[in-house]
Amino acid sequence: MTRWAMVADLERCVGCQTCTAACRHSNATSPAVQWRKVLDIEAGSYPNVSRVFVPVGCQHCADPPCMHVCPTTATRQRADGIVTIDYDLCIGCAYCEVACPYQARFLVHEPRYAYDAATQNEVERADPARFGVAQKCTFCSDRIDFGIENDLTPGIDPRATPACVNACIADALHFGDVDDPNSNVSRLLREQHSFRMHAELGTDPGFHYLYGGQYGSAPEPVATAAIAVADAGQIRARGVEPSQQRHWDWKAAGNFVCGGIGSGLFVFAAPAGLGYDELAALGWAALGVVALGLFLVWLKIGRPMRFINVLRQPRRSWMAREAWIAAVFFPLAGLALWSKIPALLGVAAVVAVLFLCSQAMILKEAKGIPAWRTVWIVPLILVTGLAEGSGLFLAAVTQFGALQPLFGPVAAIALALAGLRGWVWRSYQVALEAEGAPTRALAALRDYRPWFFIVGLALPSALIAAGVATTTAAAVLFAIAGLCIASAGATLKFILITRAGFNQGFALAHMPVRGSGIAGPAVKPGWSIQ
Amino acid sequence: MPGKPVHNERTVATYCYQCVAGPDLLKVRVEDGVATEVTPNFDAAVVHPAGGKVCVKAFGLVQKAYNPNRVLYPMKRTNPKKGRNEDPGFVRISWDEALSLVADKLNAVRAAGLTDETGYPRVAASFGGGGTPTAYMGTLPAFLSAWGPVDMSFGSGQGVKCYHSEHLYGELWHRGFTVSPDTPLCEYLISFGANVEASGGVCGVKRHADARKRGMKRVQVEPHLSVTGACSAEWIPIKPKTDSAFMFAMIHVFLHEHPRDRLDTPFLKHRTSSPYLIGPNGLFMREAATRKPLIIDAATGCAVPFDAAGIEPALEGSFVVDGIEVDADDEIISHKDVTVSTAFVQLVAHVKDYSPEWAAAICDVPAATIRRIANELLEHARVGETIDIEGMTLPLRPVSISLGKTVNNGWGGYECCWARTLIGCLFGALEVPGSTLGTTVRLNRPADNRWSSVKPGPDGFMLYPMNPTGKTDWISRPTARSAHRTLVPLVADSAWSQALGPTHLAWMMQDENFDKLPVASPPDVWFVYRTNPAVSFWDTKAIGKTMAKFPFVVCFAYTRDETNHVADVLLPDCTDLEGLQLLRIGGTKYVEQFWDHQGFALRAPAVPPQGEAKDFTWISTELAHRTGLIKEYNAAINRGAAGVRLSGKGYDFSLAPEQMHDVETIWDASCRAASAEITYGAESQGLAWFRDHGFRVKPFPRLQWYLYPKLVAEGLRFEQPYQEQLFRVGKQLGRRLHEQGIHWWDKQLREYEPLPPWHDLNTLWETALAKHFSVRIADYPFWLITARSMQYSWGGNVGIQLIKEVADNVAGHGNVVMNHAAAERLGIADGDLVEVRSPLNETKGRVMLCEGIRPDTLLMIGQFDHWVTPFAKDFGAPSMNALMPMLLDLTDATGSSADLVKVKITRLEAAT
Repeated sequence: MTRWAMVADLERCVGCQTCTAACRHSNATSPAVQWRKVLDIEAGSYPNVSRVFVPVGCQHCADPPCMHVCPTTATRQRADGIVTIDYDLCIGCAYCEVACPYQARFLVHEPRYAYDAATQNEVERADPARFGVAQKCTFCSDRIDFGIENDLTPGIDPRATPACVNACIADALHFGDVDDPNSNVSRLLREQHSFRMHAELGTDPGFHYLYGGQYGSAPEPVATAAIAVADAGQIRARGVEPSQQRHWDWKAAGNFVCGGIGSGLFVFAAPAGLGYDELAALGWAALGVVALGLFLVWLKIGRPMRFINVLRQPRRSWMAREAWIAAVFFPLAGLALWSKIPALLGVAAVVAVLFLCSQAMILKEAKGIPAWRTVWIVPLILVTGLAEGSGLFLAAVTQFGALQPLFGPVAAIALALAGLRGWVWRSYQVALEAEGAPTRALAALRDYRPWFFIVGLALPSALIAAGVATTTAAAVLFAIAGLCIASAGATLKFILITRAGFNQGFALAHMPVRGSGIAGPAVKPGWSIQ
Repeated sequence: MPGKPVHNERTVATYCYQCVAGPDLLKVRVEDGVATEVTPNFDAAVVHPAGGKVCVKAFGLVQKAYNPNRVLYPMKRTNPKKGRNEDPGFVRISWDEALSLVADKLNAVRAAGLTDETGYPRVAASFGGGGTPTAYMGTLPAFLSAWGPVDMSFGSGQGVKCYHSEHLYGELWHRGFTVSPDTPLCEYLISFGANVEASGGVCGVKRHADARKRGMKRVQVEPHLSVTGACSAEWIPIKPKTDSAFMFAMIHVFLHEHPRDRLDTPFLKHRTSSPYLIGPNGLFMREAATRKPLIIDAATGCAVPFDAAGIEPALEGSFVVDGIEVDADDEIISHKDVTVSTAFVQLVAHVKDYSPEWAAAICDVPAATIRRIANELLEHARVGETIDIEGMTLPLRPVSISLGKTVNNGWGGYECCWARTLIGCLFGALEVPGSTLGTTVRLNRPADNRWSSVKPGPDGFMLYPMNPTGKTDWISRPTARSAHRTLVPLVADSAWSQALGPTHLAWMMQDENFDKLPVASPPDVWFVYRTNPAVSFWDTKAIGKTMAKFPFVVCFAYTRDETNHVADVLLPDCTDLEGLQLLRIGGTKYVEQFWDHQGFALRAPAVPPQGEAKDFTWISTELAHRTGLIKEYNAAINRGAAGVRLSGKGYDFSLAPEQMHDVETIWDASCRAASAEITYGAESQGLAWFRDHGFRVKPFPRLQWYLYPKLVAEGLRFEQPYQEQLFRVGKQLGRRLHEQGIHWWDKQLREYEPLPPWHDLNTLWETALAKHFSVRIADYPFWLITARSMQYSWGGNVGIQLIKEVADNVAGHGNVVMNHAAAERLGIADGDLVEVRSPLNETKGRVMLCEGIRPDTLLMIGQFDHWVTPFAKDFGAPSMNALMPMLLDLTDATGSSADLVKVKITRLEAAT
């Protein structure tokens, strides 16, 4: 077998960005779209400071989360390990971009030029297929394929070697087949100390970092103390620490908000509509809310006219599964609401819950976002959706005086779900803090915690208690309580997506040796746990 | 490959010489006639020291060609008023009109006389970064040669932005216009602010990366953690401009804390002036009859001439001898039975008080650190070991010290360059494998290789072409507006000397009268190419005002910029990928280009010129024709003014002198001559061959990387440690100046010391600023420094989007870099907009906080503050250039200053 991999020697790299520029040239990427770039990281406290330059880009993981989440099959993996994107299939949903822990993917919606208008070279190299879809480093697969066809060795012969490697003026970048024990890269990895970034995420990245010193050389470059995580001190972290993901904006958040409220509401409204004519329209409203969320997503994707491709990969992608579930849910729920067949309504309610589950799983599979990928996200999204639905249901029920007997039980259910949600929310945060997460993500969640408690639990509890005590105002108080429960959950998801959606950032297992001495400590800027 | 289907694809070999660390070789992919991609030239992998690669700057060349902001047509000014706030009113004109405008002006100058009544050339020219423009200006040097005297002294960075003291002293001591470690063999390198990873080019980067993998330890001594500091084994944050104290303390450790046998005493005795006897007046004791410096033969205890055969010189001791001292103006001072000691003894005494403990307080570096570094260097020096180079056994001394800008120029540059060179001598680690080497010569002649510039001088040293300071031959009337030959003996009189004089004096003299020097007229015609002194020099606002007074300015213009804002005519020349030129490559060149080959490379046009841009050779030929100088112009080309002499033994491709030749004919002849030169007349392939192959080389002996074998062959010594010649020359210069009534150079005269003492440069700077601006210097608590950027330095590429984009990946670009704790004390947060103000001026920028900088230091990388240059004028990046006053008090004896000023910082608004 062959597995192409990149080896970056941190002892050699000088951060000159020649690889960045060469990649921009060779692949004709748009301004600021840097499939390859070099990070400039500083760690320590004056005067004991280190600074290191770290080439990054697509790591061509053996177990690539981007591929697993891709709903369209646009992202695939070749037999030689290279992860590819089919621009003709991609719908630009950006799911891969939040799934990638290496910030390797770009989504460019419109042509961008170096200056106001396209220059001659930009016209010559323009590629409309690239717009509105995901793009990333290809390991210059066209060069590799050319090399293989012409009996050249990638990584050795420049014609068969990625442009960044060819251009590297410090000979810091190396490329080759790690499955071949005699290859240049296998030799380097055998003879020198190396690590892979974010190896703990289990994606088996194909990008190795040499951090100095030969095995068996004296002094041994890695002292025991150096392996331990350092007190990194002040870290100039701009561009290195986790940053709020920008791929999924308020429209994407809208899908989670509407999906949660709509499906949760449907779960309550559908059976209730059977017994109470007043609530018959509520099920249709729930469907509308779910549809609105999906419509918002449709507005957001880069290639809306080929949205149907979202159905292509249900075997792996929870986004595809969400689409399939929605495709089943809408006709089924519509038929059930129209026919009022209890069994059908029951099945539809189950499918609504499945829809909710699919949304939870979408977030969980986004490996690039620590606040989403934790397992507690699943119960959180599920319970939050149900709580929001129950809250809205309570607000709706209390609009009808004839349904007064339902007020108490529905309020009790809503309050119970709100309480359960509070417990799950707390458990989610405890788990996240225990696992470690971007500090700013935790801060965003912490900032919301009192509001969530007040609006989502304390206030509804008080209102419902007051409603129970003063029966004359119960309807109004219960309605407000319901709305509080729903809005707190909706806001939570909005914050999760747009405020706490910090990416993985970049981290090093070791600061490198520079000619002499021992390797430095690990660096993981912007994380609660190093 | 992305993009539309390509119908026609080819690659064109060319070179990149955008920075002084080049030239390097590359290829350009051309698709359907459009340049699309820059790649290394792997055809040159085996001959080029960096494997045929080019640095990031070369990747800006495609955008450079197609930049929509280019000046694409000749233009003339319509607004006669000049100044920052005057719209030049440039209008498009034809080439014929543009050239006529220029030629008419030149012909009028010629009719009036090439020099004005005070002797200054009426035509001036300023070219940018370290001589690199000559790699792009085709045959313009031939036109300038045909023209006659041209004032090249209006500086655009020289002195304050270059390694000025190193240039002059380096050439004096070891033919090192620039100085480099022998990186491939070096094992221990102390780098005082040398930023090789940013400014050493691809060769520097590759050699140092290889050295790191070999285990070379590099210690970076610098106020901030630069790119180079980042790639070093250790960073020592030293207080700005105190490097000489650090080095003096190291010398103290070597001479006062270790036994002599740790030094390379044979080297000191036979290859330096250490055993020379020093007379009571600080001059060499000489044999009366021969005037040869005396040394003591340790075997007999007798004083003998330094070159007496078969003697063992005494390095130390006190001796009673007879002899003479030769003082300034050949005054003889005779001595009988006078007690004298050796230069080495004087040196030992000189550094007695410069202990690490003394230096610690000055440098803000612990004494233990200074001592440790000194001892580490000593441990790595391998005194006594040898290595075989091309069949010759040479000393191996794998230790070196490199100096960076601000360390090796301006006040203190003398001390630092002296100390660095001296430390090498103590261990025999100068110009031998692994040690400190010169790279090239620019002041000595000939410049084609360092060995051929070595000629025996009078006292056993290499002959140095000082500008005369004698009573009869001192050049009392300056030949250029910087008065370089009048004031600076060391700057010599080569083609480079004008640009290495005190080039800021040329600007200062336009505004202030320098007593007893002729009043400097503005040049009648000023040519400008690949430089932008209105942004790139010091006190740029003043310079901008001065150049606005020049009556006729001709700018070869890429885009509009702050200097051509005052131009009368803009001439658009072909950019790097459009023009044709043959360039000499290989041998040893600065900064770290040490080749095993030498030869020529062609800059073949990859794409046709945009608009009406014209090849520089075409423009030069037209100017020669229109000024009636075509015969002289062709003769200059035939002599080699365009890079290669067109005739030699067994070949003659000289151009017919009386006629105009087209661009291709000229370069075809050059290519043929180049082929013949390389093959010793055997072959004569021309332009077509070079277009196909790109370059042509022959071997360059590695032995010639080292000057030591040549000195041994010539029986010469390095002029270290004792600077008797400088001492005497300085005295003579002082007499001449005083005889003419000139006293404003007295401070500089005091620098001519035989053994340089330490000077408190921090106080010198502070005092000068306080005095000239009547400020309380305590109100300016920070030292502001700058650093080079690989992405920008020398490139003239601030208008290139790709360069800006990738430079932004390197921390600090476009920011005021400040220590985190220092900022916290002032309530300044990361990203805040601040004003940085010196006593002269202010600049604004966003703060980038970090730990890798001293709390008393601010850093601004590169040179910005553009207000005309398209694209760059929107950066909002700060620049220190407008903040530094041009002051004689801040000018050293070599005519340079350093990028350093005291500033205060004020928060203007919060981060966005």
